[in-house]
Parts: sequence; C-alpha cells; structure tokens
Amino acid sequence: MKRRDFLKASSAGFASTLLAGGGFLSWKSRAYATNVALTYYITHGWITQPDGVSVYFRGYSSSSNSLQVPGNSFVVQQGDTVTVTIHNRLTTTHSFKIDEIVDSGPIAGGSSTTVQFQPSTAGSYLFYDGHNEPYGRLVDLHGAMAVMPLGLDNRVYVGSPTFVQQKFWVFNQIDPVWHSNIRNRAIPSTPFTPRYFTINGLSGRPPGAPGHVDPAIDAMHDHETAVHGHVGDRTLLRMLNAGLATHAVHTHGNHMEWLTSNGQIRPVVWLKDIVPLDGNKGVADVIFPFEAPPDAWPPTSTGIYAMHLHDEMTQTAGGGLYMFGALTDIYFE
Amino acid sequence: MNSSKHGGGMGGGMGGGGGMNACYVYPIDPAQVPALDPNPDMIFERGIYMNGSMTMDDGRNVTIWGFTDPAEGGGMGGGGMGGGGGMGGAFPSPPMRVRQGQVVQTRLTVDMMMYHTIHHHGIEPEFRSDGVGHISWDVNGTYTYQWRPAHAGTYFYHCHTNTVLHAEMGMYGALIVDPPEGPGRAFENGPSYDLEVIWAVDEIDSSWHTLSWDAGTCGGDVGLNILNPDYFIISGVDGNQSALTDPRVAVTMNMGQRLLIRYICAGYLPQQIRFGGLTAEVVASDERPLPQSFLTTQINAVSAERYDCIIQPTQAGIYTVEIDIRHWITGQVLGTCTYAHYSHVKRLSCNLKRTINGQSE
Ligand SMILES: [Cu+2]
Ligand SMILES: [Cu+2]
Repeated sequence: MKRRDFLKASSAGFASTLLAGGGFLSWKSRAYATNVALTYYITHGWITQPDGVSVYFRGYSSSSNSLQVPGNSFVVQQGDTVTVTIHNRLTTTHSFKIDEIVDSGPIAGGSSTTVQFQPSTAGSYLFYDGHNEPYGRLVDLHGAMAVMPLGLDNRVYVGSPTFVQQKFWVFNQIDPVWHSNIRNRAIPSTPFTPRYFTINGLSGRPPGAPGHVDPAIDAMHDHETAVHGHVGDRTLLRMLNAGLATHAVHTHGNHMEWLTSNGQIRPVVWLKDIVPLDGNKGVADVIFPFEAPPDAWPPTSTGIYAMHLHDEMTQTAGGGLYMFGALTDIYFE
Repeated sequence: MNSSKHGGGMGGGMGGGGGMNACYVYPIDPAQVPALDPNPDMIFERGIYMNGSMTMDDGRNVTIWGFTDPAEGGGMGGGGMGGGGGMGGAFPSPPMRVRQGQVVQTRLTVDMMMYHTIHHHGIEPEFRSDGVGHISWDVNGTYTYQWRPAHAGTYFYHCHTNTVLHAEMGMYGALIVDPPEGPGRAFENGPSYDLEVIWAVDEIDSSWHTLSWDAGTCGGDVGLNILNPDYFIISGVDGNQSALTDPRVAVTMNMGQRLLIRYICAGYLPQQIRFGGLTAEVVASDERPLPQSFLTTQINAVSAERYDCIIQPTQAGIYTVEIDIRHWITGQVLGTCTYAHYSHVKRLSCNLKRTINGQSE
C-alpha cells in the first residue's frame, strides 16, 4: 500500500476550514479561536520496506479502508476547540493521546470515540496511541499537531524568531520483530533492534533506486518532507521522535536556529548543525534560515543539500542499503 | 543536478575484480565540475589508506581506514593534532588548519577501485564541494573541493560515501578554523587560550572492521543497523590503558593557563563528558559562538556535536575527566573514558576505562 494513495483520499475525512487549500500546513492566523474537527480511522496493513520486506503497521488513517503512517499532521491555534473523532477499525484496543492535553482512554476494537480539547500552549506535539505504551506508538499510531500562537502565523511562540513556512519531520525506527509481536498481540521480549528508519513514514531512495523521485515512497522527494525555498524562506522544522532511539539531526547548507527542546523554549537561540532529538517522544523546533551557504566560494545562493541523521545506523535499511534510511534533501532554489 | 548521471547506481560497470560491485555511488560528471579559484590561499592534499591498523590495549589489531597527506609521506604526522601512526596512515587523519576567510582547496585522490568523498562537517560550501555523493558525486580519481570558511571554530572532516561504515572505520580528522587573530583565540573577538587539545571521542565496533568499502550498498544484511562497540577511543588512542599516558590526549598545564578543549562527539552514540569537578566555560558549539557562554561541569552530546570549552584550573591537582558512551536506545552506559587531569603538576594524562554492559573489564 502506498502512502500517497491515502493522502489523495484524505481530504474528505478532513473537512475543516483550517485544511482548506490543500496542504495540511497552509495556515492563516486568526484573531479569534474557532472549532476544528478531525477524523481518524485506526487501521492496519503492510508496507514494503526498501529491502523488499513487508512489515505490519497500524496507523491513524484518513479513511477506513486505507493505511496511513504517520497520521496526517495538523495545525491549530491557541484556544481553538479541537474535536477529534477516532474510529477504531481493528479488533484491538487503542487510544488517542497528547501528553498533558488529551487522553481518550481505551478505545475498544470496533468502537468510536470523540475527544475535545483546547490547546493553550503554542508548540509541537505528538499524538499517539497511549494504550499499551509504547507499542502502539512504535507500530506507527502517531502523528503531529502544531499549536500556533493566537493571531500569529510566523512564530513558534510569542517572541520567537519568525519563519515563512513550516514542516513536520516525524521520525520513527522500525523493528520488524516487534511489529510482528505486536500484530500477534504478544509483548516483545527481544531488545528493540530497529532495521528501518523513517521520516514522515518514508525512507530515502537515492538516484538509480527503484522509486527514486516518487513522492509516495522517496523521502528525498516527498513534498511534505523535502524542503524547498529561496534565500530568505526561513523554514520552521517541527521535529518529533515517535521511536526509542536518540537521534542527531544534521543539516547541510545552513546551521539551524535551535528554538525549543521537549516543549521548553531554549533561553538563548544557538546556531547548530546538529540538534539532538531524544527518543521516546522527543521534540525539537528549529528554523532552517535559508541563508546563502556561508562558506561557498565563489558565493552562491542555490544548490541541493542533505539532511540526515548523524547516528548513521539510521541511514540504512535491513542492515545495509546506505541512503535508504531517514534522510531528505534541502533545495535552495 | 538532475542529469543522467543519476540514471543508475554504479552496478558492476567499473569491473576490476577488486570489489567494484557497489551500488548507489555516483561518478564525477566532468561537465558539472565547477571551475576552481586559480589563487587559493591553502591547498590540502588527501589520499586514502585502507590498510591501517590500530593495536588495541588487549593486543588486537583493528583495521582502520583514513585519509593520508601525501606530502607527509604516507600520511604520518599531524603536528600533535593528528592521531597515532598506525601502519597505513595516521588515525585520526591528518588535521586541517586554516584561517577564517581563506580560500581553501581540498584535493582528494582515490586511486584504488573504490569511491570516497570528503565532507567538511560544519563547513557549508557550494553543493558540489559538500562531498555528498547522491547530490553531487563520489570520488574515484581526483576531485578538488573548494570552500572559504566564514566562521572560526572546531570542525571535522569525514568521508560521506557509505558513511555509516566509512566514518566508523576511522575516515575522519580534525578541521580547525582560526579567527583573523590567529591561534590563541577561539573565534573572532572571542576568548583567548594558552593551549588546546582535541578530544575526538569515538566508539569502535570491531565486527564492522572486516567489511569491504561497499558493504551493504547493493542490499543484503551486513549489520550496519547495529552498532555494538567494544572499544572506546579518544583521538585515536585506546582508553583502556594507553590513554593513561599518551601525550596526544593528555594535557600538561600550569596554573593560570587557559586550556581550550575542542570536544568532538566523533562516534554515533550519545555521550556525556564530565570535567572531573572542574568548571568549564562553554564558549561555542558547532563553530558558532554561543550568545551567552555558560559554566558547567558536564555536557551531553550526540553524534557530531562539537563544543569548545575553556578550563582554567585555580587549584593544582589531578582532575579526572570522564566521558560516558551510552546506548542510543537504552541509554545504558557502554563505556567510560577517564582522564586524569593534572593541573600545575607537569602532566595531564588520560585513562579511558572501559566497561561493557555495565561490567568493568
Ligand atoms: Cu569513504
Ligand atoms: Cu558529519
């Protein structure tokens, strides 16, 4: 099953003002709060990994007959009333949880639940299956929510440096043995040993590989993941780690402005080409400034640059296949 | 950038018996090679060695790969900032040191049937000088990277071909950019220092060190998703015993002197460095001055982070600096490097004490 198949089908399930206009990140600030309604279907299926192995997944999908991982991320504003309806199409119990904001409690197999909440603090949040932690989250029942400051469309928090576009980078690591255990309702008993590494559910397909340039499977060409901009197109990257491994996020081309770490605003903004992203729901917000690469000679303002994790085991798939892991590209256009 | 050179991996097209069965490496496209500045301020020559070895304190030889400086005759040396001179070449690879604003060229020659690159980590050059194969190309033959560093600080350079393996095999070296004032200041108008040391702290999984340069690139499970280190090293020195006395890691300083520690998390796993009770002033990270320096007795770091720290002991003594290397999933301490740090006394030595899975060796 291909991820983009589900995205095409998804707009109907997301009938809501904030999602008008296509991309889930298109965003207009408001001086007032509003109501936002979302619907997810907990479904399952198999996704073929870069080495050809099919692995079992569960997802917060956009329709009941699809599988989508991660679930569609969404943007709301401080004070909005967010209503999320979850239809559990599986026979296993799951939940919908955002730490310190909302917890649906158990949603039994075959049942539906609606939760409502008003996020009060701007920031980046992981929603996930909090039932039977961490297993539901690890088999990809997760997604991301951004809460914008009231009335602001260009800041992470009041007073933060500004940006002109924003993206979610949701990372995960996949141990197929655990996925198989979880499918069979068994508690994994082996050490977590990931063999696949994803960003927004995808992994790299370098030039020459089957699927290269296909945005449905190539993380370097997925429009929600790859970063495109001109000099000055300061880009907020909301980085969330659904998995268990500690990551070192590395951008080429520009250092990042490191704004937040695990929900905390950093007291001063550091410029880093490596930003740590903790395992187990770690979050970091950074701005990629899209300045002309400072060390180019002669000076230039265009080019393609890599983003990859520097814990390089994550760049592999199935124990080899370098560049088929969690990476994407940044395009200075 | 989107030319036909991206039409496929290398396949076996280069032939040559010697393992040119690599996939997803990208030969140089001569039509895309940019012109070079005819008057660079600095040129670094780098070759490749694949037959290095590091003798560990337990007597085992572990294969090391790295970069040579042909001008130094086989890549030995490094002026105290390089590593040991194992057979094959220095480990870590010979350092590069330049001045902020200089036009620099790094000429890499790979004359074996294989591919490598140089990525100057932290340097943000024109994309064809960035050394990332899938975006520009990998190097077989000779290729010259060109860059002009805008910021002083602690960088490192490493191979970016099959990076997961090549960097772990040792293909890295220090890269220092001095401010316009020259050595002695951490950055332009920044704090001064009297002496400096590079601690590039790395872990080695010796089970990876029998693999070929293209291992795994065409598929197949060669275990590159699992890093189970059995050696922990600082700037190419085994901490088990050697680092107790090795002058490449140890620092001798007198009271009143200011030591700049250029700490590089050169491995893939998270680390914590503790300064043995000394307070360090952290003045820069990833070669950018911190808006406010801060005082600390320890730093947590993840792969490839750099921290510039100034220590100025106010009491003579022996200070034990420790670095934990932690499992990237469980957080378990896999190994601990312990330095004995003598201030005023005539030397500071390093003792890297290794523990595996919590068991002291
Ligand atoms: Cu290499
Ligand atoms: Cu690097």
